[in-house]
Amino acid sequence: MSVTLTRRRLVSLAILLPFAGAARAAADWPATEAKAKGQTVYFNAWAGSEQINAYIAWAGQELQSRHGITLQHVKITDTAEVVRRVRDEVAAGKADGSVDLVWINGENFRTMKRDKLLFGPFAEDLPNFALVDTAGKPTTRVDFAEAVDGLESPWGMAQLTFFGDGAKLGQPPRSMLDLLDFAKAHPGLVTYPAPPDFHGTTFIKQALIETIADRSLLPMPIGKEQFLAVAQPMFNFLDALHPHLWRKGKQFPPSQSQVKQQVADGELLIGLTFNPNEPANLVATGELPATTIAWQHAQGTIGNTHFVAIPINAQAKAAAQVVANFLLSPQAQARKADLAVWGDPTVLDLTRLSAADTALFTAQAAPGSVTAPAPAIPEPHGSWVPLIEASWLERYGA
Amino acid sequence: MTRIAGALPLLALWAVPLLAALVMAIAAAASSAAWTALLVHPQLWPALGLSLWTGTAATCLAFICALIISAGVYRSPAWPWLQPLAATGMALPHLAFAIGFGILIMPSGLVARLGVGGDTPPNWITTQDPLGLSLTIALALKEIPFLVAMIWSLLAQGDTAAHLEGQWRAARSLGHGAGSTWLRVVQPQIMRRMTWPLLIVFSYGASVVDMALVMGPTQPPPLAVIIWNDLNHGTAANNARGIAGAILLTLAIGSLAALSLLALRALGVAARPLLSAGPSPRPAPRFIAAASVGAAVLIYSAVLMLLTLLSFAPRWPYPAILPPALSLSSWQMLLTSSPALWLSLGLAAASSIMALVLVVLWFETQPRSRDRWLLVLAAASLALPQVLIAAGQYDVLLRLGLTGDIIGLFLVHLAPVIAYAAIVLAAPYRSFDQRYIAAARSLSAGPWRRWRLVKGPLLRVPLLTAAAVGFSVSMVQFVPAQLIAAGRFETLPMAAVTLTSGGSRSLSAAFALALALPPLLVFLAAAIAGRTRWR
Amino acid sequence: MALELQSVTLTLHGTPLIRSFNVGIINGEVVTLMGPSGSGKSALMSMIAGDLEAPFSATGRILLDGEDVSHILPERRRIGRLFQDDLLFPHMTVGENLLFGMPRGDKAARLARMQQALEDAGLAGFAPRAPHTLSGGQRARVALMRAMVAEPRAMLLDEPFNKLDAELRGVIRGFVFDHLRERGIPCLMVTHDRADAPAGGRVLRLMDGEVRDD
Repeated sequence: MSVTLTRRRLVSLAILLPFAGAARAAADWPATEAKAKGQTVYFNAWAGSEQINAYIAWAGQELQSRHGITLQHVKITDTAEVVRRVRDEVAAGKADGSVDLVWINGENFRTMKRDKLLFGPFAEDLPNFALVDTAGKPTTRVDFAEAVDGLESPWGMAQLTFFGDGAKLGQPPRSMLDLLDFAKAHPGLVTYPAPPDFHGTTFIKQALIETIADRSLLPMPIGKEQFLAVAQPMFNFLDALHPHLWRKGKQFPPSQSQVKQQVADGELLIGLTFNPNEPANLVATGELPATTIAWQHAQGTIGNTHFVAIPINAQAKAAAQVVANFLLSPQAQARKADLAVWGDPTVLDLTRLSAADTALFTAQAAPGSVTAPAPAIPEPHGSWVPLIEASWLERYGA
Repeated sequence: MTRIAGALPLLALWAVPLLAALVMAIAAAASSAAWTALLVHPQLWPALGLSLWTGTAATCLAFICALIISAGVYRSPAWPWLQPLAATGMALPHLAFAIGFGILIMPSGLVARLGVGGDTPPNWITTQDPLGLSLTIALALKEIPFLVAMIWSLLAQGDTAAHLEGQWRAARSLGHGAGSTWLRVVQPQIMRRMTWPLLIVFSYGASVVDMALVMGPTQPPPLAVIIWNDLNHGTAANNARGIAGAILLTLAIGSLAALSLLALRALGVAARPLLSAGPSPRPAPRFIAAASVGAAVLIYSAVLMLLTLLSFAPRWPYPAILPPALSLSSWQMLLTSSPALWLSLGLAAASSIMALVLVVLWFETQPRSRDRWLLVLAAASLALPQVLIAAGQYDVLLRLGLTGDIIGLFLVHLAPVIAYAAIVLAAPYRSFDQRYIAAARSLSAGPWRRWRLVKGPLLRVPLLTAAAVGFSVSMVQFVPAQLIAAGRFETLPMAAVTLTSGGSRSLSAAFALALALPPLLVFLAAAIAGRTRWR
Repeated sequence: MALELQSVTLTLHGTPLIRSFNVGIINGEVVTLMGPSGSGKSALMSMIAGDLEAPFSATGRILLDGEDVSHILPERRRIGRLFQDDLLFPHMTVGENLLFGMPRGDKAARLARMQQALEDAGLAGFAPRAPHTLSGGQRARVALMRAMVAEPRAMLLDEPFNKLDAELRGVIRGFVFDHLRERGIPCLMVTHDRADAPAGGRVLRLMDGEVRDD
């Protein structure tokens, strides 16, 4: 089995080799734009939100009129499916891939980078990359402790954020220890989704960050023995927290969307999300009451950047780069950050923009927005995640 | 010559690709690392046990209810209405039912709002309970209409109906009440033919993902949910563990099904003295049957009503009896997916018609002894976890260059439709009284005339049932379709899953209704067209 | 009078098929009712047995040994029937078919009676056989014995010899009538073939809704 796999991979690499040279061509931007004209870009992007879909549709219209590019939004549920599709296509030697651009970050990016499924480096050659706040937002160059290396272009920011009905909550807990006290005072009304749900894993990572003695370990690779030693305070915290959770911590909701629904229904008091503006969006659509508040832990919460990447077997590589560059433009970023449109925080450094472009980013305070933003803490190194998930499952899974 | 020609289309379009898909999927799990990783998974055995338990319990519960209902309604004035009623229940997609049923019984659900009230929901464990009871009940409720419809079509089939009519009279003249006659004369004659439908219900229940995510326990979840998470986890190692898990689940389902068949047979032997126990005036269980039907109708109506209400309600906090505000936004968003609806309708119509043609061609040209292979493959393809088959199908179609192609998309819709058509049609087709054909032949009718004027009309009920079941199966086809479409096509379930992955329950409800409506209309049309008229 | 019909009127879709039919049949007597197809003979049988279904309807009284059974369930009337088809239950053995209708009671006694009935029919040792392994004549005899061991108070025969070949027909006819006479069971038989009627028995003819002595 492994023999055939290797051979298959060699064959596919040979097929794809000619395309690898195209990466540097991105430096010659006008040529890229000229080549992009008339191409169709199949943009595989999660489509679970009306606002996001409308935003991508708007980007499609702009790209058509400005660059003659057709942007086709391939509406997907799970990026891992796209990763698998590209991997299978490459393994089968299919050079005219079905994906030109994919919305990606974290583990999926790491997988595609490691398996050499990505085109590039291209991102830092995009003209608009110069506007990116790489210093203030280091996660634009380090994706979940994995160096980006120009293989994906930053698109927006995310940060762990909690929300609930301010009319019921009183003072929201702004640290994990506060959350423990809150749960003791409101037994059965707090919980978090079970890992491997992404939000559940992030909640536990947050607990790890807030309880670990030496935070400098977090960006480094770690082994099982050492993990179990340094994560002991986190397990102590979870052991203390669980008896006060929903269903006494014996059952956990399978997904963040169920938690969100239970908050809306009144079965739970606190929900969590990775998009700081999601609570405000949900107030706007009427899914949460106008009294909703959103907050982050005072010492900071886990934050990351989401990106767009081009698979190595993409058909419209030139146009895909033009799309990535457009998505970084002040106009596109400002529109995306607008709560009335999507509300996804920008990756740009506003001080580098012209006065006219800065003016596009108007500050808004809608019900449900985060009022006191806290610092974004980078994700721990990727090697922590499987250990967190496996040990959680062992201790609390059955 | 005709023999080969009759089997070839079915083999080429269905059996060979399906077998190739299975081989591909199994080959993908042929790594010892994947099996080791699976076997050390701390939730593996409890999760497997949970899957088998919920599948078994739901199947037993649904079958007992279906038998009681059939026993009570058979030969009563309500009998002709049972089929359209069951069809209505069948048309509602599983996930839609689970969402609606959950909103009925969960702690912040309608029952609690009406019965308990207060500011915060009661501390009930009515969904996601550790033993999976709520999942079991939801599954059973959802499968009762399918089993009732299967029993109904077995009994309503022309020649069987005529034989049973006479036997019924004979039994009554020998001193047996209606209930006793059902138990001793009718039921034993349909038990064996219910094997395949029961197997489908069991394997579906033991491998269901979407309902389990809504109603099932989470620590541990049923094994199918763990597999689903693994397969969606992106890394190759997790994918391989997921496929190994899918194979383990399949083996477990297969072994338990074999054991159950033996148990059912033993039960038949044990119940033998019942046949010769002598006349009993036991009446038909009219009351229990009416109560069961009434309860089921009540629950389904509540589910439909709740789904309708939810589709207009972005928010519905506890303890409000009615949503605080109504909005059209979910339906407006649904309207943006109308091209997906048309594509789904087209695929469903084409695949159900194609499947009927292929399966009928098989039955007409192949000797009965070959049915076993057809049925084993059909049942296996339905019993295997969908994610496993889908991964294999994708591999095969990718090599054929049919991903992102309408033909590939059609083929993956066709596959389960053929399987259902074969299973629904096998028993009626093979128990068809060949003397009718002999009679027609003696009246010098050619093969086409014999089929069109004699066999087709006599088998009208099962043929229409198969078409309607196929249509509804195609309408909700998701996992393989998603893979094969490669983003080039969008069907209604794909739109439903992607647009509702943001977790909007209102939108889920709207899509659930939109997915339920076309099959419902087709089932009702089939039920009306299938009314026997040759009395 | 053992089986008596009083003013029986049978209608189809509201149109009368049989008007005010009266007949009395004494124990052990076989009365033959003849008439063309579609004249309502089979419906009359169903009416007497108690399982007449729409679109037929009927009025009138059925008396068994003077007791009015018109309004009791078919399974409580204890009126046996033989049909054109033997209607043996295909999922039961010959023995089980017989025990099916035999009144409940001591198990050993029932088994003995079943064996005796089979012996009477010349079918000793056939109890464990499946019905489809029997010949037409054997099946016809099992069907009669099945009806007999149920201890009927009256018997209805609906063209019972129709599907038997000529040779067998005579044998089975004799077998059936002998049994009915021996046990003193009143019997109404409908047929369209005069030759079916027992020698010297009463024969009625159904014409245009009226029943007359032949």
